[in-house]
Amino acid sequence: MSSDQNLSADVVIVGSGVAGSSIANELARAGISVIVLEAGPRVDRQHFVDNFRNLENKPSYQGPFPSTPWAEHPPNQITPNKYLHTSGPNAEAYQQVYLRMMGGTTWHWAGCAWRYLPSDFELKTRYGQGRDWALKYDDLEPFYYQAEVMMGVCGPDPKVEDLGSPRQQPYPMEALPISYAAQQFRKLISEKTPYRVVHEPQARNTRPYDGRPTCEGHNNCMPICPIGAMYNGGYSVYHAEAAGAKFIPNAVVYKIERDSANKKVTAVHYYDPDKGSHRVTGKYFVVAAHCIETAKLLLLSADEQSPDGVANSSGHVGRNMMDHTGVQVTFISGDKALWPGRGPLETNVIDNFRDGDWRGDRGAYLVHMVDDNQVDFATQLAISKGYVGKDLEDQIRYLASHTVRLFSHNEALPDPDNRLTLSTTHKDALGIPHPDVYYKLPEYTVRSCEHTRGLFKNLIGLMHGTDEQWTPGYFPQDHPSGSTIMGVDPKDSVVDGHCRTHDHENLFIASSSVFSTVGTGNITLTVAALALRVADTLKKELLHA
Amino acid sequence: MTKDRHCPLVDLHVSSPNAMRLNRLMRMSRRDTLMTGMAGMGVMAAGSVVAAEPSSGGDPELERFMKLSSRLTDRPSLDPRIGKALYERILQSGPERKAQLSKLADLLDGGTYENASAFAKAVEQADPALKDVIHDLMTGWYRGVADGKVVVYRSALMFDVTKDAIYPKTYAAGGPFYWTTQPPEVDKPTGAPALSPSKFDVEPT
Repeated sequence: MSSDQNLSADVVIVGSGVAGSSIANELARAGISVIVLEAGPRVDRQHFVDNFRNLENKPSYQGPFPSTPWAEHPPNQITPNKYLHTSGPNAEAYQQVYLRMMGGTTWHWAGCAWRYLPSDFELKTRYGQGRDWALKYDDLEPFYYQAEVMMGVCGPDPKVEDLGSPRQQPYPMEALPISYAAQQFRKLISEKTPYRVVHEPQARNTRPYDGRPTCEGHNNCMPICPIGAMYNGGYSVYHAEAAGAKFIPNAVVYKIERDSANKKVTAVHYYDPDKGSHRVTGKYFVVAAHCIETAKLLLLSADEQSPDGVANSSGHVGRNMMDHTGVQVTFISGDKALWPGRGPLETNVIDNFRDGDWRGDRGAYLVHMVDDNQVDFATQLAISKGYVGKDLEDQIRYLASHTVRLFSHNEALPDPDNRLTLSTTHKDALGIPHPDVYYKLPEYTVRSCEHTRGLFKNLIGLMHGTDEQWTPGYFPQDHPSGSTIMGVDPKDSVVDGHCRTHDHENLFIASSSVFSTVGTGNITLTVAALALRVADTLKKELLHA
Repeated sequence: MTKDRHCPLVDLHVSSPNAMRLNRLMRMSRRDTLMTGMAGMGVMAAGSVVAAEPSSGGDPELERFMKLSSRLTDRPSLDPRIGKALYERILQSGPERKAQLSKLADLLDGGTYENASAFAKAVEQADPALKDVIHDLMTGWYRGVADGKVVVYRSALMFDVTKDAIYPKTYAAGGPFYWTTQPPEVDKPTGAPALSPSKFDVEPT
C-alpha cells in the first residue's frame, strides 16, 4: 500500500481552473481541508511569454501552450483535430480549444467578464425557447459580485452606462478607458446607427489590484498577458495554496467511486504520468474540469452500478453541448487611420442584440470590434499582394492602421442530439479515450448568425471597407457549455440549482457544463459565480454539520 | 561603416521596462530561436550595421544575400546578424533556394534598377519561380520569419515601419492608457504592386 492511500480531504476538487481554484480558496480560508487534482502540469507565465514570442503563427491561442501526453488538449481549432474529434453537419463550429494545466484556460482569455441578463436565466418562460435555469439572476447576483471582486473586474458606472444586469454594488474598478480606435468606432455607431458601443466589463486592472499591476496595453491578453494585469485562474491557485489548499499537478482523474447504494461518492482515482494509480477520499467532491473534460470523466466512470456513467440517470451527461458560435470578418476601412492594437484586446461591444422580443425566433448576440494589433496581418497581406521595398512599407503602415476585425458571440440552444461521447478509436497515453462531439447548429443560432452577417455588411459599408475576408462558415468561440445541464427535474437534467448532481448527494459540478442556456458574452464570470455559490453551499454544510 | 547611424530598434529595447526585465539574450538562446550563436556578438553591435560590410564574415554568398536584401527593401542599411540567420534559414526551406538566390543575385548584378519594385518586376519577368524567393526575403526581413520559424520578433522591420504608432505585442512601453491618444494619420499609398498577387490564407487560431 502506498502512502497515497492516505490522500484525503474534506473536499476533493477535480480541476484547477477558475472554478476549482476559487472554490479551493474559499474553503481553505474557512478552515476546510481541500485537495485539488489537476491533470496537467504546474506552469509559469514567463515560459508562455517566451513561447509566444517565438511562435510564427501569432494568432494561435493554443500555440504557446503545448499539452503533455497524459493531459492532452486540442492543439488548435482545425478539423480534424488530434484530440477533440468533432463530427456532424457543423463539426467545424464545435472545434473548441481549452487548456489542461494548473490555472486552466484563462491563461488565454481576453478578460471579458459579463454578467448574464436576468432574461438569460428564463429563456423558456420569456421567449418559449430552450430551457429555464434552476436559479434566477437574483440568486446569483451576490456571487457575481464576489466573483468580480475575486478577479478584479473593471466596468462602467450603471448610472452612466447600464449593461442590463442589475447591480447591488459598483464594479470593483473603474471602466477601462477605451482606445482611440474604439472611440472612433463608438462615435460611428452612435452617429450612423440606432445602436451603441459600451465599455466591456473586464477582469483587467485599471489600478494596481490584488498584488498585480495596472494594464499596460501589451495587446496580448490572448494568448498570454505578459505582466499579469489580467486575472487568470493561476492567481486563485496561488491564493488557495497560501490558505492551505493542496494542489496536486499531473493527476489525471479517471474514475469516480461511489458507495454500495450509489448515492454518495467515496473517492476519486487518478493516474500519475507513469500510470501509477492513486485513490483520494473525501466528504464532498467537486468536478470542475471544464465542460468537455467534466462530461468525459463522468462517462468514463461508468461501471455496473452506473452503466451510462456517473450522475447520468437522466442520460443527459454529454448532451446539450452549446457554444457562442461566431461570425467574423476582417476588412480594410476606407476612413481615417484607426491603428487598432493599442491597448488591451477586447474592450468595446455593441450590446443591442443581447436581448429583445425577437429571441422567440433567433438567438441573441454581441459584437466586438477587436482591438488587435494588425501589423503582422498587414505585412502578410501586403506581401501577398505583390509589394516590395518602400511600397511594401507604405502598405504595411496603411493596412495596419486601417484593418478592422469584427466578430460576434451568437447564442446556442440546448439540443440533446448535440452530444459528447467517448471516442472508440482514439486514446491518450494513459489509455483514456479522447472526446468525440457531434454538432449541428440549432436553426435558432443560424438565424442569429445571418442577422449578424447583415449587420457586419452594413458596418463595412459605413466604414467604406474593402478587402473583406469572412472567416468561412461558423467558428467556435471556445465557450463550450451544457454537457451536465442544470434543471429542476432529475429526469432531464444532471444537476440542480445549486450545481449538486441529482444522483449523488455529495457530488457537485462547477463548470459551464451546468449552463441551461448560454446567453451572450464570455462565460467565465458566470462560471466563477456559480463556483463561489458551490463553495458557499459546501461551507454551510461542512461548518454547520 | 556608418557608426553613427541611429538605430531605433536598440532604443526600443532600452526603453521598454518589460524588455529590460526580460533578458533578450537569454531568449535568443532558446532552441526555437535561430540567432543562437550570434547573441555573443552583443546587442550593442546593432548600432553599427550596414549591408555587405565585413561583418558578414567575408562570406561572399552572404554578402550577395545582403546586397539583394538591401535592394529589395530599399534600405541601404540592414543588420548583418539578422541577415546571416535569415540566409541560413531560407536555404533550409528548399534544395532549390541556393541556386535561386544565386540567380537572383546575378540578375541584380547584371542590371541597374532604381528601386525594389523595378528589380522585382524584372525578376518575375525573367523567371516567375523567383517570386517565391522574393516572398521569402520580404517575409524574412519584414515579419522576421523564415521557413516557418521565428528568426527575430521585435527586430522585424514591420515594427520599425510602424514604431511611431504601435508596439509589438508584449513590448508596450507607453504606460497605462497610452492607447487613448490619437495615433498618426496615414495617407493611402500610391505605389503599385511589383509582383503578381498570391493567395493569402489567414492562419487559423
